[in-house]
Amino acid sequence: MKYTLVPATLVAVAVTAAMLAGCNNAANAPAPNAAAASEAAKPNPYAELNKLPDWSGVWEPARFAGRPNTPPAGAAGAAPSGPPAPPKLTPEYAAKYAAFQEKNRKTPGINFTTQVANCVPPGLPSSMNQPYPFEFLFTPGRVTILIETYSMVRRVYLDGQVKPEETDASYQGTSIGHWEGDTLVVETTNILPETSPLQGIIGHSDQFKVTERIKLEDPETLAIQTTVQDPTIFVEPYTTTSRYARHKDWHIYEYVCAQNNHDSVDEHGNAGFSLERKPGE
Amino acid sequence: MKLKTLIAPALAGLAAALIGVSASAHHSTAMFDWGKEKKLEGTIDKFQWTQPHTFIWVKVPGKGGKEEQWGFEGMSPSWLGRHEWSSRSLQAGQKVSLDYYPLRDGRQGGFFVRVKMPDGKTLEALPGGPGRGPPPPSAASGK
Repeated sequence: MKYTLVPATLVAVAVTAAMLAGCNNAANAPAPNAAAASEAAKPNPYAELNKLPDWSGVWEPARFAGRPNTPPAGAAGAAPSGPPAPPKLTPEYAAKYAAFQEKNRKTPGINFTTQVANCVPPGLPSSMNQPYPFEFLFTPGRVTILIETYSMVRRVYLDGQVKPEETDASYQGTSIGHWEGDTLVVETTNILPETSPLQGIIGHSDQFKVTERIKLEDPETLAIQTTVQDPTIFVEPYTTTSRYARHKDWHIYEYVCAQNNHDSVDEHGNAGFSLERKPGE
Repeated sequence: MKLKTLIAPALAGLAAALIGVSASAHHSTAMFDWGKEKKLEGTIDKFQWTQPHTFIWVKVPGKGGKEEQWGFEGMSPSWLGRHEWSSRSLQAGQKVSLDYYPLRDGRQGGFFVRVKMPDGKTLEALPGGPGRGPPPPSAASGK
């Protein structure tokens, strides 16, 4: 509710006019009380949003937009470009990762073993690297990320109202954010342990944490620097950067994976594909 | 643009390997012989503008006069809708030529790459090739 201060003379004129018109409603109206006056003194929290950077539009991963995943020319303070170094893994996971890489080398493409083929959505961080785009909503105390693929929603709490230790694990985890200038820093924990922290690795401990630094590198390029850490998997935090191209004139489509899914993955990670048509189709 | 054309697919492969995303939205391309195009001529039976994938069902004259049904998965409506396709792009009864990546197991289907329409117009489903690289300039800004 927004209150506007009205000069006393205007109120007097209005009241007088009402009385002259034979209407006494104005005399019965409650006088502004102290609580309302106090409310009026508070700044409108939506006004604060004007200070935020312009992230409007729809953001598509650069590689699908036909752009290299490198900083735009002349971008100040851009994250380093070039291929990221491979992650340093604990012995247990290094063996699993090496086995995956070897299998992937021998039979390219046939070892993607997560449950997404069964329409179970990916968790963070891979939810931010889907082929289809996402958009941001800024509201007081919150940044909301709407991801087209699987119609996923991420709620980033900026106001301290949600505490990770009081939430249950979820695919996108519990995200707490703050602004450092024009960079949104998001720390996410409580991500479901069966999700994939890195391709080739399924599952992680409850110490898994994802830290994202999100900022514009130029008006058409958003960069997200993502650091994953989990002492049971990573010897040291592992950082990669993904870039996204802005499309001001796109809109997000509805995405309901169960509508007409012919794909599957079995308990051994083998991909399936059905050529059966539903009756009537 | 030429440089981008060369760089993007190379980096795309690397990024996909590290970040954990298959080329397709929600599954591996395991079941398809990805990148090995084949061609089929037939009649559109149904075009399904559905999530998570579009489907083209095609009728083809088989051996002994028996009609065969082939099924082709494609990118999502959102992807195709941003690349010059619509739910009305294909109609039942149209005779088309369809390029696709075949199923590895030999069944009658695959993943569609492009469709040549009766009027000679071609609709590209994967502009930029199997790595989902750069779309053509006309589609680059979306629509």
